[in-house]
Amino acid sequence: MKGLLTILRRSPRAAFGVGLLAALLLLALLAPLLTPYSPTSQAFGTWLKPGGEHLLGTTALGQDIWSQLVYGARLTLLIGFTAGLVATAIGTALGLSAAYFGGRTDEAINVLINVFLVLPGLPLLIIASAFLRGGGVWSIILVIALTGWAWGARVLRSQALALRNRDFVQAAIVSGERPARIIFAEMLPNLAGLIAAGFFSTALYAVLSEAALAFLGMGDVSQVTWGTMMYWAQARGALLQGAWWWVAAPGLCIALLGTAFALVNFGIDEVTNPRVIHEARATRVLRRNRAAPQAEPALEPPQPLLAIRHLSAGYVTPQGPVRAVRDVTLSVAPGEFLGLAGESGCGKSTLAFAATRLLDAPGVVFDGEARLAGQDLLALNPAELRRVRWKDYSLVFQASMNILNPVLRIREQVYDAMQAHGVQDRGRLEARARELFALVGIREDYLNAYPHQLSGGMKQRVVIAIALALEPKLVVMDEPTTALDVVVQRQILQEIDAVRKRLGISIVFITHDLSLLVEMSDRIAIMYAGEVVEEAPAHELYAQPKHPYTRRLMGAFPPLEGPRERREGIPGRPPSLAQDIPYCPFFERCPNHLPGTCDVFKPARVEVTSGHSVACFLHSPAVKEEAYAAD
Amino acid sequence: MPYLLRKFLILLLTLWVAVTLNFILPRLVPGDPVGAMIARYQGKLDPSAVDALKLAYGLNDQGGLLGQYFAYLGKLLRGDFGRSIGQFPTPVSEIIAQAAPWTIGLIGVCTVLAVVLGSALGLYSAWRRGQPLADALPPLALFLNSMPYFWFALLLLYLLAFKSSVFPLSGGLDPFLTPHSPTWWVSLLRHATLPALTIIVTSAGGWLITMRNNVMGVMSEDYIAFARAKGLSEGRILNRYVLRNALLPSFTAFGMALGFVVGGSILTETVFSYPGLGLQLYNAVTNLDYPLMQAIFLYIALAVLIANFVVDALYALLDPRVRDGKAA
Repeated sequence: MKGLLTILRRSPRAAFGVGLLAALLLLALLAPLLTPYSPTSQAFGTWLKPGGEHLLGTTALGQDIWSQLVYGARLTLLIGFTAGLVATAIGTALGLSAAYFGGRTDEAINVLINVFLVLPGLPLLIIASAFLRGGGVWSIILVIALTGWAWGARVLRSQALALRNRDFVQAAIVSGERPARIIFAEMLPNLAGLIAAGFFSTALYAVLSEAALAFLGMGDVSQVTWGTMMYWAQARGALLQGAWWWVAAPGLCIALLGTAFALVNFGIDEVTNPRVIHEARATRVLRRNRAAPQAEPALEPPQPLLAIRHLSAGYVTPQGPVRAVRDVTLSVAPGEFLGLAGESGCGKSTLAFAATRLLDAPGVVFDGEARLAGQDLLALNPAELRRVRWKDYSLVFQASMNILNPVLRIREQVYDAMQAHGVQDRGRLEARARELFALVGIREDYLNAYPHQLSGGMKQRVVIAIALALEPKLVVMDEPTTALDVVVQRQILQEIDAVRKRLGISIVFITHDLSLLVEMSDRIAIMYAGEVVEEAPAHELYAQPKHPYTRRLMGAFPPLEGPRERREGIPGRPPSLAQDIPYCPFFERCPNHLPGTCDVFKPARVEVTSGHSVACFLHSPAVKEEAYAAD
Repeated sequence: MPYLLRKFLILLLTLWVAVTLNFILPRLVPGDPVGAMIARYQGKLDPSAVDALKLAYGLNDQGGLLGQYFAYLGKLLRGDFGRSIGQFPTPVSEIIAQAAPWTIGLIGVCTVLAVVLGSALGLYSAWRRGQPLADALPPLALFLNSMPYFWFALLLLYLLAFKSSVFPLSGGLDPFLTPHSPTWWVSLLRHATLPALTIIVTSAGGWLITMRNNVMGVMSEDYIAFARAKGLSEGRILNRYVLRNALLPSFTAFGMALGFVVGGSILTETVFSYPGLGLQLYNAVTNLDYPLMQAIFLYIALAVLIANFVVDALYALLDPRVRDGKAA
C-alpha cells in the first residue's frame, strides 16, 4: 500500500493511469446509476442518433448503446482482471520455481516458457476457442490465461535467478528454511513490482484478446462486453449506416483501459527501477557568477596543476539538495600522486566527478571552481569540455563488468579515444595502441578481442591504457583496483606508478584503502562527510595522524590488505548530508570531542605543521566562517 | 551447446508442441469430433466430405490414440493437410498456397517498417529525454499500442474508404488487370495502404516503448559514462555505443512480439477482406472448416518460428558474447 502511494506520488504517469483505471472501474460498478436502461432491452427505436434520451444512440436492434457500454465494462474488466490474475499466478509460480530449484527444473521450465513465447497466441486462441465454443466466459478466460502467462514467467524467472544469488536468500537457504517460506517470505516481496507489471501486461493482453475473439464471433456473443458490442456493430453494418459511434465508443474504451494498464506499468518501472542515466550533457553548474573570480592571489609556487577551490557539489533530490561535497579546497601539483581516502559515502567520488564535470544528473555543482592548468573546467561549455576531456585529463573508473562496450572490439575502443582528439592516421593509432598495451602489460593480440574475453584485471589494464593514450597531465583514478584480487592489484599499482614517473603525470587516486595510499602517495587528503578534514604528506600522515577520524581510520585497517568487512571499525555513522552541519561533522563519533566547542562551532582547516593541515579543535582553535554556505 | 543449435532444437520442440496441440484440440470436443461437426452442419455435409474429415483426423483407421497420432504426424510430414470442408474438395494446402503470399507480403513489409519507425522514435524519445516532443511520445505510443487492431482498421475504413473514397473498401486487387503492369502495381498498393497503415500505426507504439526502455537501460551502463569521459562525439556515442547495444534486446523482444503482431494482422485482413491467411482463417472459423483452420494455424506457427530463428541468427551476428556462447 505504501509502495503504491510512493509510485503515485513520484510518477505522474502512473497516477494518471490509476485515475483512468478507477474511472473505468466506477463506470462498471455504478452502471445502474449511470443509465436507466437495461443493456439488452430492445424497447427503443433502431439506429437512433446520439443525443437526447440515448447518449450514444441505439443499435440496429434498438438497444441503448450507452447502457451497453457501461454494463459491458463489467464483463470486460472481469475477463481482463481474472485472466490477468490466472496468467500471473501461473507465470509467477513457474518463474519462481525455475529460479528456486534451478538445475533440470529450471531448464525444463525455461524451454516451456520459450515454447509458449513464440507460439503465435491469437491464432492458437482462435483455434482453441473454435473447438471449445459454447464453454462461455470461463473457458475464454482460461484459454487466454493459458496462452498469456509465458511473458511474465520469463521476466520473473530472470529476476528471481538474480535474486536467488543475493545474500539474504542464500542465508535463508543455508539456515534451513523451507522452500515455500523462502519463496513466499523472502523472494516474493522483492518481486512485487515485477509481478504487478506482469499482471497489468497480461490483463491488457486479455482484454485485447477477448475483444479480438468476440469480434470474430468466437466468444459468447450473447453477453455484453466491449468486444461483442463491436461484433454486433460490424455484423449489423453500423459503419455502412453511418453509426460510427457504435464502433468507436467500445473500441476507445478498450484503448483507454489498455493505456491505463500500460501507464501504471510504466510508473511501476520508473519508480522501482530508478536508473542513473549517463547523459550526453555535462554536469550542471549552479554557482552564481561571483565578481572577478580570478582576483584571488596566486597560490604558493609551484603553480598547481589542478586547483579545486571551495567546491560544493551533490545531488538534487525530491526531498531537497544533498550536499555530498562541502566547500572543498584541494590542489594537485604537477607529477604528484595525491591520495583521497575516506569511508563509503564520504563524497570522495562525487568530488572527483564534480571537479571533472562528469557527475550525472541529478548530480550538480553548487559552487566553487576547479582549475586545470589555469582553465576553469566548471565554466566550459559542452563542446569545449569534450575537447579538453581525455587530452588534458582522463579518468580510470572502477573495474566494473561493463566498463567497456561489449559489442565493440578492444581495438576500436582504444582508437576512438584518440580519434576523438584528432589522431586519424591508422598507422599512428596502431603503433600507439601497441605501445600502450606494452606499457600496461597486456599482449598486443588482445586488441582484437571483445571485452567479455578479458578477465577483470585485464579489463582494468585496458582502461588504464586508454586513460594514458593521449598522455594527459592528470589522471583521476576512482577505486581502480578495488574489485581485483590482491596480487593483480599490486601488479597494476606498480605499473601505474612506473608510468607516472616515466611520463610525469599527476594522479588523483581515490580509495577507502588507506594503507594502500600510505604506500603509494606523495600526499593524502582524508575526507569525512563531504569535507577534507586532514591533508598531509603521506609519510607524515602515517607517522602522525592528527585528526581523530584519521587516527581511527588508521586503526581500523590492518597493515596489509585484509578482508573488506574489517574496515567497520568506527562506531556510529556520519551525519546526513541532506542537512546543514554547522559544527564538527565528526563530533558524535569522536572519542575526544570537546563539549560546548565541537558541537557548536565548525573547525577551520589550518596548516599546523608545514604541509600538514587539519580541521580539528584539538589542534587549532580557528573557527571556520561559513562563507560559502548553502544559498 | 552452440547457441544456434540450441535455438534450432527449441524451434523443433515448439513446432512439435503446435502440431500436438493441433492433434489434441479436436479430441477435446466432447464425443466424436466428426460426429459433432456433422451435427453442427445438420445434414448439409456431403458424404464424401464426411469421409475426408474422418481421413483428416485419422479416425478411419481404428487404431488407438497413439496409432492415430503417428498416422497424423506422417501425413503432416508428407505435406498432406487434408481437404477443406468449406471449399470442398480443394486441398487445404492449395488454399494456403494461394493466400500465403498476400499475408507474407503485407505483414512482412509492415512489420519491418513498424520496427524501424518505432525503434527510431523510441531512440529519439530516450536520447532527447526532457524535451516536450520526446516526452510526449511514450504515452501516445502506449495508447496506439492499446488499440484493438480491428477497431483502428474499421475507423480507417470508415473515414478513408467509406466517407471519402480515397482507398478501396476491400480486397487485394482490382479484377481483370494484367499482372505486373503499372496499373496492377498501383491497384496492389492502393489496396494494401489501409491494412498497412493499420498494422504500422498500432504496432509501432510497442516497438517505441521497447526501444526506449532498452536505450534507457544502456544509457545507465558504465561504458556510456566511460565513452562520455573519453570526449567522444555525440554521434559516435549514439551510433556505436547506445544504438548497437540497445538493438540487441530489441531482437529478443521482436521474436516474442511477432506472434502477437501476426495475430493482430489476421484481424486486420478480415476487416479489409484482404485475401490472405487471416481472411481464410476467419472464413474457416465461421464455416467450421476445421481442417483449414488447423492447417492455417500450423502454417502461421511455422512462419513465426522461422522468422524467430532468423532473428536469433542475426542476434548472434551482432553480439560477440552470444557467438562465444557466453550469454543467450
